Amino acid sequence: MSILGELLRQLLRFGLYAGVQVLIVGQLSLFGLGWCFLYLGFVLFLPLRTPIAVQLLLGFAIGLAMDISYDTGGLHAAAAVLLAYLRPWVLRLLTPRDGYDAQDTVNVHQMGWQWFMVYMLILVSLHHVLYFFLELGSFQHPLLTLGRVGVSILFTTIALLIVQLLFFPVRRKRS
Amino acid sequence: MRNLIAFLLRYQGVMLFVLLEVVSLFLFITNSSYQRAAFFNSANAYAGTVLARRTQVTDYFKLDELNRQLLADNAKLRQQLYPPDFTRREADSLPVGRDTLGHVIYRHLRPDPSVALAVGPGLAAPTPAAKGKLPSALARPDTLLLAGARLATRDAAYPLVPARVLNNSLRAVDNYLTLNVGEADGVQPGLGVMSATGVVGQVKSVSAHYATVFSLLHSKMAVAAKIKRDGTFGSVKWPGDDYSHALLDYIPRQNRLVVGDSVVTSGYNAVFPEGVLVGTVESFVKEPDKNFWTVKLRLAVDFSRLTYVYVVHNRPRTERDSLETAITAPEPTPAKPLKITRPTR
Repeated sequence: MSILGELLRQLLRFGLYAGVQVLIVGQLSLFGLGWCFLYLGFVLFLPLRTPIAVQLLLGFAIGLAMDISYDTGGLHAAAAVLLAYLRPWVLRLLTPRDGYDAQDTVNVHQMGWQWFMVYMLILVSLHHVLYFFLELGSFQHPLLTLGRVGVSILFTTIALLIVQLLFFPVRRKRS
Repeated sequence: MRNLIAFLLRYQGVMLFVLLEVVSLFLFITNSSYQRAAFFNSANAYAGTVLARRTQVTDYFKLDELNRQLLADNAKLRQQLYPPDFTRREADSLPVGRDTLGHVIYRHLRPDPSVALAVGPGLAAPTPAAKGKLPSALARPDTLLLAGARLATRDAAYPLVPARVLNNSLRAVDNYLTLNVGEADGVQPGLGVMSATGVVGQVKSVSAHYATVFSLLHSKMAVAAKIKRDGTFGSVKWPGDDYSHALLDYIPRQNRLVVGDSVVTSGYNAVFPEGVLVGTVESFVKEPDKNFWTVKLRLAVDFSRLTYVYVVHNRPRTERDSLETAITAPEPTPAKPLKITRPTR
C-alpha cells in the first residue's frame, strides 16, 4: 500500500511539474535571456534515499517529456539525466555533521537556508551549463551563452525557492 | 555468474547513466533531420492536443491583439481588392482584330489621334455616344497585350493552407513552431511556411492533425534570397542571437548596397514562391578577411507575436527536385561509358 501510495504521489508530482512548466512557466522569460526550468524541481526534491537507478529513469522521463513539448530531441533529457546522476554526489558532499536523519527531505525549512541554497546552486548551475552549451553545440557566443546561463540560474532558483516556501511543510524536525 | 550480477548491481548507476545519456544525445543529434517518426516532437497527438488546449486558453487573454492583427491583415487585403484605376484590369475579350489567316492585326490597338481627341481624358468610361460610334480598340483602352499573349498574374502552383501557431520558441539556438494543421489538411514535410508579412520557416514533420516547423530562427535553416533592387542572390541565415535580425550571406564585395533594400525569396530552392519578403537591409560592413559583405537584415516577420501563418504548397516541386538530382547526382551506371572511352584514349 505504501509503495502504491508513493508511486501515485510521484506520478502526481510528475504531472504537476510537467504541466505547470509546459502550460505556464515555459512562456515566461527573464530579461529576454533566461528561461525557467521549473520541472527540475521534480528531480531535485525527490526523497533522499531514492535508488540511483530510479532517479536516473525519472530524470530521463521528465526530460523526454520536456523534449517532446519543446521539440529539442533529447537535450532536456541529457541534462536532466546528468542532474539525477550528480544529485547523490552533491548530497553526500553536503552531509550534515551527524548524517541525514530518516525523515529528512530536501526542504528549506528542515535543512536550513545555507544548505538549501548551496545544494540548489551547485546542481542548477551544472545542469544549466551543460544544457546551454550542448544546445549551442560549440563555444561560439560565449558571453551571450554565459549570460543566458546566469540569468536562467537566477530564474530557476528563485522559482523553486518560491515552490518550497509555498508548498513544503514548515515543521522543523531537527533541533 | 554471481560475480557478474554483483558487478552489474554495483555499477548500475554508472551504466544506466551512460546508457540514458547515449540515448538522449542520439535523439538530440538526429533531431534536425527530416524523416523521423513524428512521435518524439510536439506534432504527436498528445503533445499537440495539450498545446492546442493551452492556445485556446491563452487566446482569451490575447483577443485584443489578435483582432488587431487580423484587422491589419484585412485592411491590407482590402487594399488589394480595390486597386487604383488601370492596375491589373483585364478586358473580358481582347480587342484584337485578326486577318484571314488568323494572325493578330496590331493596327487595331493603335489609337486614331482624331478619335482620341474626341473622347478626351475619360478613357476608362467613354460616353455612350462615343462607345456607339467606335466599337474599336479605344473602348477598352486598359487592355495589356504582350507578345500576343496575356501574362498570368497569379501563380496557381502555390495554393495556401492557413494555420494557427500553437507553440513557438524564440530564445533557443534551434527554434521550432507547432501548427494546428497536419496530413489531413495536405501538409507534408518540406513545405514552406509564411505569414502575412514574410517568410517564417519550413515544415519539419507532420502527424495527422499537427505539424512541426523549422523556424527561420534555426541554426541549420537557410533561405535562398535576392535583393529586390538589383537581383543579387544570397542566402539568409540566422546567427543565433536576436530574433528580429538575420544575416544575408554571399553578397559580393563589389556590389553596392543601400540601407532599406528589400530582400525577397529568389525561388531557387522551390520552397517559397519567388518574391516573398524576408526582410530589409539594416546595416552592412566590409570585413577585411572576407570576400563577401556582412549584411544585417531586419526580419519582416515579428516572431514574438506570430499567430496565423500559411503553409505554401508547391506542386511542381517533386518533379523539379527529381530532375535536379538527376542532373547533379553521379551517373547511375558509370561502368559502361568508361569502358567505351578507354580504348579511344
